Amino acid sequence: MISNLLISFELNGKEIHIEAQPDRRVIDLLREDLGLTGPKESCGRGDCGSCSILVDGFVRLSCLMLAVQLNGRKIVTIEGLYGPKGLLHPVQDLFVELGALQCGFCTPGMIMTIIDLLNSNPRPSRDEIREAISGNICRCGAYQKILDAVETISERVSQR
Amino acid sequence: MKSTQINIGSTLCRPDALLKVSGTAKFAVDYYGQDYIWAGVKRASIPHGTLKNVDCSKALKVPGVLTVLTHKDIHGTNRQGVVKKDQPVLVDDKIRHCGDAVALVLAETKSALAEGLVAVRTDTKELQPVKDVMSALKPGSPLVHENNAKGNILLAGEIAVGKSLAALKECDVVVEARFETQRQEHAYLETENGWARLDDKGRIEIVCSTQTPFRDRIEVAEALGMDPENIRIIVPNVGGAFGGKDGITVQSLLALAAQHSNGRPVKMWWDREESFLASAKRHPCMMAYRLGAKLDGTLHFLDVDIILDTGPYDHLGGVVLALAMEHSGGPYRIPNGLIRGRCVYTNNPVGGAFRGFGVTQVTSAIERAMDLLAEKMGMDRLELRLKNALKAGDRNFVGKTLTTSTGIIECLETLSRHKLWKQKSSWKCGVPPFKRRGIGISATMHASGYGPVVPDYANAKLELTTRGSFRIYCGVVDMGQGNTTANIQIVGSLLNQPIEKMEVVLPDTDKTLPSGSASASRCTYTFGNALISGAKIMQERLCQKAADLMMIKDSNEFSMIPGAIRHLPTNREIRLETIARIMDSSEKTVTAYFRAPVATDSVTDDKNLRLHGIPHNLFSYSANLAYVEVDEITGKVAVADYLTVSDCGNVMNPQIYEQQIQGGVCQGLGLALYEDFETLDGRIITKDFSTYLAPTSMDIPDIQSVALGIHEPTGPFGAKGIGEISTNGPLPTIANAIFDATGYMFDKSPITPEAILDALNINLSG
Amino acid sequence: MSKVFMPAQPDELWGILDENPEAVVYAGGTDLLVRLRSRFTKPDCLVCLERLDDLKGVKADDDDIFIGALTTHREMLNDPIIQKDLHILTHALKQLGSPPIRNMGTLGGNIVTASPAGDTLAPLYILNAQLEIGSRNSTRRAPIESFILGPGKVDLAHGEILSRVVVRKVPKFEVHHYEKVGKRNALACSVVSMATLMNVSSNNLISNIRLAWGSVGPTVLRFGDIEHFLVGKPLTVEGLSEAINMIQELVKPIDDIRATACYRREVAGRLLLRLLKYSV
Repeated sequence: MISNLLISFELNGKEIHIEAQPDRRVIDLLREDLGLTGPKESCGRGDCGSCSILVDGFVRLSCLMLAVQLNGRKIVTIEGLYGPKGLLHPVQDLFVELGALQCGFCTPGMIMTIIDLLNSNPRPSRDEIREAISGNICRCGAYQKILDAVETISERVSQR
Repeated sequence: MKSTQINIGSTLCRPDALLKVSGTAKFAVDYYGQDYIWAGVKRASIPHGTLKNVDCSKALKVPGVLTVLTHKDIHGTNRQGVVKKDQPVLVDDKIRHCGDAVALVLAETKSALAEGLVAVRTDTKELQPVKDVMSALKPGSPLVHENNAKGNILLAGEIAVGKSLAALKECDVVVEARFETQRQEHAYLETENGWARLDDKGRIEIVCSTQTPFRDRIEVAEALGMDPENIRIIVPNVGGAFGGKDGITVQSLLALAAQHSNGRPVKMWWDREESFLASAKRHPCMMAYRLGAKLDGTLHFLDVDIILDTGPYDHLGGVVLALAMEHSGGPYRIPNGLIRGRCVYTNNPVGGAFRGFGVTQVTSAIERAMDLLAEKMGMDRLELRLKNALKAGDRNFVGKTLTTSTGIIECLETLSRHKLWKQKSSWKCGVPPFKRRGIGISATMHASGYGPVVPDYANAKLELTTRGSFRIYCGVVDMGQGNTTANIQIVGSLLNQPIEKMEVVLPDTDKTLPSGSASASRCTYTFGNALISGAKIMQERLCQKAADLMMIKDSNEFSMIPGAIRHLPTNREIRLETIARIMDSSEKTVTAYFRAPVATDSVTDDKNLRLHGIPHNLFSYSANLAYVEVDEITGKVAVADYLTVSDCGNVMNPQIYEQQIQGGVCQGLGLALYEDFETLDGRIITKDFSTYLAPTSMDIPDIQSVALGIHEPTGPFGAKGIGEISTNGPLPTIANAIFDATGYMFDKSPITPEAILDALNINLSG
Repeated sequence: MSKVFMPAQPDELWGILDENPEAVVYAGGTDLLVRLRSRFTKPDCLVCLERLDDLKGVKADDDDIFIGALTTHREMLNDPIIQKDLHILTHALKQLGSPPIRNMGTLGGNIVTASPAGDTLAPLYILNAQLEIGSRNSTRRAPIESFILGPGKVDLAHGEILSRVVVRKVPKFEVHHYEKVGKRNALACSVVSMATLMNVSSNNLISNIRLAWGSVGPTVLRFGDIEHFLVGKPLTVEGLSEAINMIQELVKPIDDIRATACYRREVAGRLLLRLLKYSV
């Protein structure tokens, strides 16, 4: 019999110590054990991006990570995303303003992917944005408005 | 929000977006609750067979498995379906497709559930599957439903137009073609799921992802032998539906599970593979077309034969067939012809509602036939369409006189003035090596509402709260399309209240009122009209109340202003919360009813076709254009530009309007080029997201949308349905563009690189 | 339930592998965890290599470039050494899976998975990549084409780990070309791919060329005969036409859910024509 392991990591700025099965998928740990339902599961095999989270600043798929892999990592989910004044992050603001979503199920994963993009490339071109979100399926087809939203951020950075 | 004022015709940012971007919007999948258990379904996994026995004994011994339920535990009809109730909740006699549910397992954990499902043993006798419509129609074919009077035919119909087939010989030019469209999977990101619990009074509460809570409640009640009053269905945010959640998915199973969970909440969440296996798809469709014209290009005759593969159950197959038949002639005047349609049972995956609903299939046929005709006649494609395009007062192909706004000519004319049409030749000239360029166009129409028989109604409910805000009880589901925002705009603009004074209650059979399905491009039209009436009643009531309070005779001297009501001659105001405080709760709520006008034209004597929706009364229109580049080396197609010019009535919210256009085009491009839900002898080949390919951001160009904004007198603020029409354009537009690029008209979709290379068969090296 | 180990040091890894002869090893998890999803019985023991920092990163000396097997695709894309000298790998990596997959998946994982459609493989074959395989007591080297034996099959014993990929810097090639034909433009498994390193002389003759194809055989395919044949040929439609026929005869594609063998065969040859854009 394999016993649960104590897993310690930082989640949205808070220290977490939780007992879990070592092979528990991170998406299940977040949603079912920690109550963070922002990350969504849709395909369970890395083909849609709905479960994207940031691990040490880089976007990863929480359906393809096991609980032990969280040990010592810094995790950010959509719930832990804030802007400069503790309000919405500019990406979130522009998603609302420019209507970059419809059903909203891909949105948490999509936004985490964009945060990773902007961290490494604050002024992405439209093509670079298109490429960056290519692992996040939006079945409602909001791609164009997502590009508009991120391009607007990119332009604002350029003007600064 | 920059402006808190609400107007019709300008963008109001969707209030749900705020919750969705922060991860706080709750979907049905986000419900867990205290002490919940998991429920899951044992699937048949064979396309056709007799179920002899289900052995639960091994499963019951799996640690963590609580119980295993079969059809024997169901005390109702065990049948569900929208029109014809032919689908069992749990199989009791025959297995009719691989996704049929045979047992329901309840377990403490997901892993115990998985183990329990494997341990359920089914004893089946496999029967020869009915693997496609052609074999289903052959005499002596095995029957999917033995007691169906018409064998494997679910619904068949025929409508003769004008002189019918006799007009064929009067044509100067005739083109004949067959087309075949594929099965398309909705692939909404939120797979079918729900959460349910039985309370101590014997009522079952179900939170689920559905487009049809009120209809579901009745279906669940009948199937399980319950009183509908004892079922409550709540629909939070829905993670996409596109027609796929129009009808029962998890609801009856969840209710059954809740009956056996000792009051513990039950959660069911199909994974992607199960969703693919069990959910309804866009019907594969075979179409034979003969289109004839006079020498000058006037359309004179059309003969259409449509066959849909509905899989083993009606679901909405008959209704889809009827809508396909009705739209088979496209937005053109065609005085003579014959429309034949059959919807056929097979042991393939279930066919059901999918955005476009049969119109997508036939539009792709008539629009390709139009290009073939133009080519044969040496006539310009746009000119041929303009010459025959419907205008108000014309009768459409099925014979319905168009009495509502009819803007297809304006759509085509606007397209003809667009730079993408004007610059088409120069774009084609700039073609790089090993590429071919082509431009395609199409014209489409799409009905809204239910047709002449089934009442298309909505009941709006609006409440003034004690804090002086207005609470809208939305009876129609918003699965992402944004109708909730439209509701807020209607009430906010009519009552002159800012967004801060608006609240919504999402569909809940205990709180909101029955208002039909979130489908048929009807949500804003039907519910919006009801809500307009409701808001007007509310305004009159509040002004009267204010007049009474201020002892002023004429309530017409009052006007609503943000947060208050003002007596205009004296500038005296009374706050809404003040009024709310002195009103009885019965006075603070208004309800209003709207039933959509229907066509009274007698286009067919077939009562069954009328029941299934022929004819409709109100139509949206669009003209579409695409630039494509075909790669001669690989056969791959790149869509460089896409334009939709649409007449969907007055635009209430430009942003949401564009979302609907872009989203529908995206799914339509998927249908044209990428998506194919493949089966072999009733078994699914494309089992998951790595083999069923929905378009990514890299596959979809930026889409240009021009909205004509023609006022529709019967619409709420002049609006018509926008939900579906954009899905119908891409397949024919892309096919016609590839025809332009290669000289080859593809008759099957998706149009794959492989098919293109085969057709081109270019010897590049020689 | 499976035990999951995450060794941080090689010694720790060797111990785990010794004690768990059935252990299944993974790096980024983008392949193994997907395969486990559809399997009802899970392995008793999983070993996740992601904390073995010694096996990460890119280094170079005068002659060779060394890529740690656990370097992620994204790290390679951002690496200045790879950006400078191994464009062919960069071109392929940009089309591999999707951005999150590239954040997780590693070069070693792509090699050991040994899918004929693995995007890094065709480039590595024409780079004549050597693989370093480590175990508790030794390190051995093998050329990639002898390490990969077939779909999902590699020459790796229990107790061995692919640790590094070594690529010679010379000879230099002007043209680094990679084309992937997938059924969509991202998140796609290649239906055919072709990697090319080439030099073209000033009179438009091919002076040096290496070619490899993915997804048209049980492993990546490279044909010495065709490379020899093409040297000295003009970079024109006529100059390539015979080679196209030769390729179409030599490849060994199969029918699968993504494409027919016939299509793959046809396109594998035709992709050569794309090289015309480098003609001078």
